[in-house]
Amino acid sequence: MGAPFIKMQGIVKKFPGVVANDHIDLDIYLGEIHALLGENGSGKSTLMSVLAGLYKPTAGKILINGVEKKFGSPRDAIANGIGMVHQHFKLVEPLTVAENITMAEREGSFWLKLGKYEHELIQFGAKYGLSVNPSALVWQLSVGEKQRVEILRILYQGSQVLILDEPTAVLTPQETCELFENLRTMANEGCAVIFITHKLNEVQALADRVTVLRGGKVTGVLQRDEIETKRLVRLMVGRDVVSHYDRKNVSDGQIVLEIDRVNALNDMGLPGLNGLSLVVREGEILGLAGVAGNGQRELAEVIAGLRKTTMGTVRLRGEDVTNLSPLEMIRRGVGYVPEDRMGMGLIPELNITDNLVLKCYQHPRFSGRWLLNNREIYNKSTQLVEQYQVKIPSLEQPIKLLSGGNMQRLLLAREIANEPKLMVVVYPVRGLDVGATEAVHKLLLELRLRRTAILLISEDLDEIFKLADRVGVLSRGQVVGDFNVEDADVEEIGLLMAGSAKGVENDVCPR
Amino acid sequence: MFVPVRLEKRLVPSPVMRIMVPLVSVIMALVFCGIFLAITGRDPLEVYAAMFAGALGSAYGLSETVVKAIPLMLCALGISVAFRMQLWNIGAEGQFYIGAFAATWLPLTFPNLPGYVMIPGMILLGLAAGAMWAFIPAYLRAKSNVNEIITTLMFNYVGILLVDYFVYGPWRDPKGLNFPLTARFADAAILPTFGASRIHIGIVFALVLVFILLVAFKYSRWGYEIRVIGQSERAAAYAGMNIQRSIFYVMLISGAISGLAGMAEVSGIAGRLQPGLSPGYGYTAIIIAWLSKLNPLAIVLVSLLFGVLQVGGYLVQTFGVPATVASMVQGAILFFVVGGEIFINYSIKIASRKEALTEND
Amino acid sequence: MKNRYLVFLLTLLVATVFVLGGCGSSKDKKPAAESKLKVAFVYVGPVGDAGWSYAHDQGRQYLISKMPDVQTTIIESVPEGADAERVITQLVEQGHKIIFTTSFGYMDPTINVAKKYPNVVFMHCSGYKTAANVGTYFGRIYQSRYLTGIVAGKATKTNVVGYVAAHPIPEVVRGINAFTLGVRSVNPNAKVKVIWTNTWYDPAKEKQAGKTLLDAGADVIAQHQDTPGPQQAAQEKGKLGIGYNTDMSKMAPKAVMTSAVWNWGPYYVKIVDAVKKGTWKSGQYWGGMNDKIVDIAPYGPMVGEDTKKLVDTAKKKLAEGKWDVFTGPVKDQTGKVVVKDGQKMSDADMLKMNWFVEGVEGTIPK
Repeated sequence: MGAPFIKMQGIVKKFPGVVANDHIDLDIYLGEIHALLGENGSGKSTLMSVLAGLYKPTAGKILINGVEKKFGSPRDAIANGIGMVHQHFKLVEPLTVAENITMAEREGSFWLKLGKYEHELIQFGAKYGLSVNPSALVWQLSVGEKQRVEILRILYQGSQVLILDEPTAVLTPQETCELFENLRTMANEGCAVIFITHKLNEVQALADRVTVLRGGKVTGVLQRDEIETKRLVRLMVGRDVVSHYDRKNVSDGQIVLEIDRVNALNDMGLPGLNGLSLVVREGEILGLAGVAGNGQRELAEVIAGLRKTTMGTVRLRGEDVTNLSPLEMIRRGVGYVPEDRMGMGLIPELNITDNLVLKCYQHPRFSGRWLLNNREIYNKSTQLVEQYQVKIPSLEQPIKLLSGGNMQRLLLAREIANEPKLMVVVYPVRGLDVGATEAVHKLLLELRLRRTAILLISEDLDEIFKLADRVGVLSRGQVVGDFNVEDADVEEIGLLMAGSAKGVENDVCPR
Repeated sequence: MFVPVRLEKRLVPSPVMRIMVPLVSVIMALVFCGIFLAITGRDPLEVYAAMFAGALGSAYGLSETVVKAIPLMLCALGISVAFRMQLWNIGAEGQFYIGAFAATWLPLTFPNLPGYVMIPGMILLGLAAGAMWAFIPAYLRAKSNVNEIITTLMFNYVGILLVDYFVYGPWRDPKGLNFPLTARFADAAILPTFGASRIHIGIVFALVLVFILLVAFKYSRWGYEIRVIGQSERAAAYAGMNIQRSIFYVMLISGAISGLAGMAEVSGIAGRLQPGLSPGYGYTAIIIAWLSKLNPLAIVLVSLLFGVLQVGGYLVQTFGVPATVASMVQGAILFFVVGGEIFINYSIKIASRKEALTEND
Repeated sequence: MKNRYLVFLLTLLVATVFVLGGCGSSKDKKPAAESKLKVAFVYVGPVGDAGWSYAHDQGRQYLISKMPDVQTTIIESVPEGADAERVITQLVEQGHKIIFTTSFGYMDPTINVAKKYPNVVFMHCSGYKTAANVGTYFGRIYQSRYLTGIVAGKATKTNVVGYVAAHPIPEVVRGINAFTLGVRSVNPNAKVKVIWTNTWYDPAKEKQAGKTLLDAGADVIAQHQDTPGPQQAAQEKGKLGIGYNTDMSKMAPKAVMTSAVWNWGPYYVKIVDAVKKGTWKSGQYWGGMNDKIVDIAPYGPMVGEDTKKLVDTAKKKLAEGKWDVFTGPVKDQTGKVVVKDGQKMSDADMLKMNWFVEGVEGTIPK
């Protein structure tokens, strides 16, 4: 194989409060397909952003062909033959494919010679098996076609190293298959392909080598013939099961939430939930593990009344509440801590008081037919802030000025104050530091003791094992597996998360 | 390749800048136009003095400034309601005309009604018609998410041409030698004025509205919902708010207020319906609403400022300065204020090249 | 919270403005050469429009060239809505003794202001309301239009003449009719196609209307608009045109054969002189070819001698005053005789004309 084309040595990347990459080494050879495997937050994307010139590493160096290079911008990376396809395509929708691809070209001439380029592009694409119509307008293309245009653009700029950030997340199985074939062609043509993924089956189907990351560190580098599922899972999630919080057991209560074979579409109009069923009881935390994008958001939104189901029923304490409005669900005692704190749960620009009454301003205590009862609202806000010990200079302050931990605490405080019968919590500690995480967990456990049924959706296995009474895995819009937490096995959960459960076939196109 | 200057977002918008920016912007605009005046051989101070003296230097000038500000104020208040919810209703001009049009119907059809029936009737018609004119854009926006900027803008033309049709056609004053004017309204259909000035009780409408909106924005459930929906529709849906209904109400109210502006102008100033009733009030009001940051009190003041600029703007012509100078000052103020906004939210950092290269996430 | 600052600031600003204004007004009182008679003109468009307002301003310049002891002030681009009344008032307050308001929409404002200032003379152009100190004036431009119609009638080969018209008001309708009568007096088969633009002043729209007419087969474009847009459209297509307001041949030399033009200057001199001498009386003036208040501009090189002769004959008849354009028989579009043979249409009927004569293709919105 000779010397590596790219050598990343001791890469460290720190963000305020987080070490995203902790002395990572990575070698990339031309002609190989290299998978970068890890859970969300393991540092894969950060590492690739460093390589693509988007981030400057805190420490460490990058060698190209043995020569040290410093990238100040993506342009520098491209100049060294490294290009990245992001999850969100950077294409100009109203322009044609040819215009998008040749945009970066700089010729002496003021006039674009589009006709010439179009012909060239067809030939160029054919070399890699990437068929595109150069005169098509980008907005008319399917997601898969857009991705192809992105890849072609990077190749056209002369890149030898192609980085793809979770390229299959947006694709249909057929498109995935096509993509994989194209990637193999590229590797055969002498390019290096790095693809970021958290899907084991993709690694198995495609990778020549795989580097596994966990918590910002490399946990292993496997050759093609060493790749096997169990080993990958151990490297990816492998950890000691963390001890549970000290907590009292609550005896089995009545069923609060019962979801029966529910289907729902995601934002792109594709199936998000596929006949999902689950049950949550009084005083119980059901923890749903799973890799992001397997129906987490859709499930939470269906329960909160924000997303319509296309099939199946949702029952709350025996009552059929399928497709009721969000307001009806709030009135029936459903609390919801959404994954997107700043975009949905809180309104960053509004002050703390406004945010604290978001869910209860319609209650007669806080408003009449027309006017708000500002005194009651003030009292309530003051009380919540004191009770949950959030330090703030003033209630008039926009909530965006608070730390993430304080924001989440106030959000939880608000939801808890409504005395919910059911609480849906999605990724509750994402982005929080240790102290804040603990505070949020404590609040959830207290709520459980008050016999609220809690559905905890998380990608953090530690968190689930610490808090949940029962554990399930959300995979492709279904709940697979249902364990009492005492009986649950981390590796088995990990396998389920990776979509290798029995009954779910490995559907990535075979090699 | 890199200019060693970069903008850094402030965590808290700078309060000092918040005062300084508009102030400096207005001064810069005056200086900027002053330079232009000086280049064309006029004394800028003299021109500005004439401008402000004309608008503020006499009781008459002052009263006319208020007269000019009334329709601006009303339209801007209407616009601000919609803008607060990030609904870009730029159809105030059309709503103004339709309000005037509907209000005109009453005195033309029932010229002998007494004032205490006539005026309230005209007010109601103006409000209803303005609301109706906003209804279709509101419906399309709420139900099918059709961009309200386009629809409201298009409805301006439809509204103006509809009025033209009626004044050129069916509503033409039979005694008017076929000129495009309706007959003059009966006295009962003319809004009362204050003293000998042309200030009509439209100013009272505006001030009452300011009060109502201040209270509504701050203390009402409705105001709270507007605030939330305007900032984040997702959060509003999450909180169980009925977004579609709010879009309706807000657009209708916004249109109704502009319709009232049209009623006030046709009844308080023109005394008959005619083409060109509004020299673009509905558009100027967008600028005013924007400069006022949608605050009702600020709208009153900014409208008066624009009244000054427009009233004074014509007078500078007696100095041989083209009318366009007043428009230029207006444009320059807007330009500098909007451009200056960046200093409220960002601070300028002079960075070395090395620093400029570090990521910014 | 943030708005409180803004409010404070604006208060401050307005206060500053007040102070500034205060200074200004005291400064204003400095003694000037007040002995001159101050005359003001209010224009609806910009002076540079090469059209209506420009023609009036030519008249004003003629006035000061003839009467150097008169000081004139102009205010241009004054909308016909609420602004007009204030502008007129302020001109009076500045000491102007004669005020010419030169657009129809200034009628009510002029009357309103005149009530308050009985010692100031107001002259309103193109309206019909008078008062003791308000006179109206206008010119029989339709006579010029008739003459230019003869030029167009002789020139058209397709027998279709286009006419870009502003608003369907009697003044414009009268012009179209007179023009058509002129066209058909020399070319009975020709038709005049009318397009309404609903604007007095919109260069792009007017030009577009001209193009549309050319596309519809017209080879001569006449206009009742304040910009030379339609003439430029004709020139670009290599066709001919008839201008209006002022001599438009400068803007489109290859197209413009002649223009129906205003000549306000002598009349302005007459009025100002009368006011100075104290002989001015309110009245309704509607002058014609015999007063030279209307005329046609010099011919372009493309106009033949025989055409000129025909025009001269008609012009002489008009100047003598025995015959006028709307002398019978005049038929309307349906072929009905409206003015009987040998009869002359009354001024009153002309002033409210809202029907088209035979030969006009187009409708008047009603």
